[in-house]
Amino acid sequence: MRHPTRRRGRPLAAAVLVAALAAVGGCASGPSDDATELNFFQFKGEALEDFNQIITDFEAENPDIHVVQNQVADADTAIRTLLVKGKAPDVITLNASGNFGKLAQAGVFHDFSDDPLLDTINPAVQDIMRDLGTHGDEVNGLAYVNNADGVIYNQAIFEQQGLEVPETWNELIEVCEKLKAAGITPFYGTLGDSWTAMPSFNGLGAYPAQGGFFDKMREQGEGVGKASPVSFEKDFATTLDQQAQLYSYMQDGYRGKTYDEGNAAFANGEVAMLLQGIWALSPVKAVNPDIQAGIFPYPATEDPDDRVLVSGVDVAVTVPKNGAKHDAAMRFVNYLFQKDVQEKFAASQNMIPSVKGTQISDEPALQSVKPYFDEGRLAGFIDHQIPPSIPLTPTVQQFLYDGNAQAALATLDSEWRKVAARTIPVTGD
Amino acid sequence: MAASVPAVRAGTTSTRESKATRETAVRVKNKRAHSTYYWMVWPAVIAFALFHTVPVITGVFYSLTNYAGYGEWNFVGLSNYVNLFKDDRVLQAYGFSFLFAIVATVLTNAISLAIAMGLNAKIVARNFFRGVYFVPYVLAILVIGYVFQFFFSSSLPKILSGIPLIRDNILTNETWAWTAIVGLAVWQACAFTIIIYLSGLQTIPRELYEAASLDGAPAWRQFRSITFPLISAFFTINVVLSLKGFLQVFDPIVALTNGGPGTATESVTLLIFRGGFSGGEFAYQTANAVIFFIVITIVSLFQFKVLQRREADF
Repeated sequence: MRHPTRRRGRPLAAAVLVAALAAVGGCASGPSDDATELNFFQFKGEALEDFNQIITDFEAENPDIHVVQNQVADADTAIRTLLVKGKAPDVITLNASGNFGKLAQAGVFHDFSDDPLLDTINPAVQDIMRDLGTHGDEVNGLAYVNNADGVIYNQAIFEQQGLEVPETWNELIEVCEKLKAAGITPFYGTLGDSWTAMPSFNGLGAYPAQGGFFDKMREQGEGVGKASPVSFEKDFATTLDQQAQLYSYMQDGYRGKTYDEGNAAFANGEVAMLLQGIWALSPVKAVNPDIQAGIFPYPATEDPDDRVLVSGVDVAVTVPKNGAKHDAAMRFVNYLFQKDVQEKFAASQNMIPSVKGTQISDEPALQSVKPYFDEGRLAGFIDHQIPPSIPLTPTVQQFLYDGNAQAALATLDSEWRKVAARTIPVTGD
Repeated sequence: MAASVPAVRAGTTSTRESKATRETAVRVKNKRAHSTYYWMVWPAVIAFALFHTVPVITGVFYSLTNYAGYGEWNFVGLSNYVNLFKDDRVLQAYGFSFLFAIVATVLTNAISLAIAMGLNAKIVARNFFRGVYFVPYVLAILVIGYVFQFFFSSSLPKILSGIPLIRDNILTNETWAWTAIVGLAVWQACAFTIIIYLSGLQTIPRELYEAASLDGAPAWRQFRSITFPLISAFFTINVVLSLKGFLQVFDPIVALTNGGPGTATESVTLLIFRGGFSGGEFAYQTANAVIFFIVITIVSLFQFKVLQRREADF
């Protein structure tokens, strides 16, 4: 004995299913005529609108191509899944982290070596991409916009105290002492969010990492330790000392404060500096739009000419190897790298454009790091070179709590050894 | 010889029995339970196998490889397991998980039993209090976790600014951060444990207490000789479930310390999650998960064995 209402459920469910499928399909369908459809994989949530604008302009000039932007939340996982399934998107943007390097090494991306586009890009920026890892000698991705990791400083406070931007380590300490003497807290620490210990670690650690430190570390693998030619214990002691020295100028209670609290305090002029990257500018300006803030690189050296700015490729653009719609995809990529398109995008995202000869926006923070890009005095983020299975952030955070540099460096070396020992490379691929 | 089995069966089938004796196959079919019962059992078994057993076996399989979660892989034999025992970070995580689980289990059960006895007595607004004590179970622990995190990092340091440990935010103290996590976990776990103890206490006949008080037994003696022995089955299930749950602690840690400072409050489950997903060592941490599964099974079986021996029957 079936109840009549029971049967009604089925057509209804079917209708819902059809509607859902139509909705899903709807994302991918556009003008259904013979335009080539490009699937554009886009990882950056805050860039959704900017890319929509770019796509609209591009399609107006290229009516035979239709670009569908797929903005994904967890891009690193999503792209892996797509690649494993053999469904590589036609055009890909990714954050150029260690993960990007691993994918590139696997040989899934196109080789741009012979592409004329490559010659238009700032070589120092492209070197950062290369250091992440490539398939053989190929160039597997193009840097689009860059960030900068340095010390953010309040220009009004510096001016009012008659301070210059420090160019050596001693000058930086001098600035801190002067600020302290004037009753101004030099830095705002936010160790409640453990990752906020990393920008300064990366900025200071870029110096000992120069000269192929991580290549040598990888060569030594299981042999890393006190007796090996290079090791964290040997080469990074100064870095941690310097980091601890900066943390001694933090406000009271820096151990438990959060990133947002730090940005608000800096925006309101409670402290003179923040150990953060350019990405902190947007939240700072959200609190105080009128703040005049600049950025200088960590001067962890005694020679001003040795200073390097740590910069990461925030958005990298690439296309899959032997993609079915390669020609159309490259037309879109070439459009992205047009000077005016890139300038506009970079200005809107508070980033530094990668193409040579592009103008950086008037934002004082961006202008203050411009010389380093022009002169190519750049270094990549060192945490991209350290395997993600090493608990780097917790170790650095703990060091800033207990001040035991020796223990922290020994932990990093021992983790490096263990990971090297248990990482068994895939053979016969 | 088949007669003894139908004899214990329910009468519904026995009426058809005479017809069915002609053909054994038919009779056997009729002896089976009504198909409704199969519809109750099989879907669950299939779903369980599909979504639980198969993934577990797949996990065991991958623990013998060097799979990173994507791409190519090879068999590597037992080397993941060998490396696990050489990894001090893994051993530390086991140490933390057990310390945490034992302390939290003892506290949860002691506090819950006391509260349950209170809620079982004839107090004013008893049902109201029973409702109040159940609220933590209903709330999502991550949500509450962030409330607690604010409490530990912002409110408590101001309220108890005289105590250095709390003023400096206990969550950032390498030695004592785990006690804050125990606080949150116990606070939440008590709700459900109380319910089980309450149902246990309600099974004890009132007359036993009346008889005991006539004999002049003081309250403590009544608890020791009547209450506790009679709810020992509930005690067993609570202790086993608490310890098992606390060994797998995850959400309170994520909400409060995220394993920090350093790796001081990194539990085994957090380590598996971190190393396997963000660390890219899928196979290695799967091996860890297999070991952890075995450890929890052994601990639970051992507990049942020890605790059931001293349960009273009535």
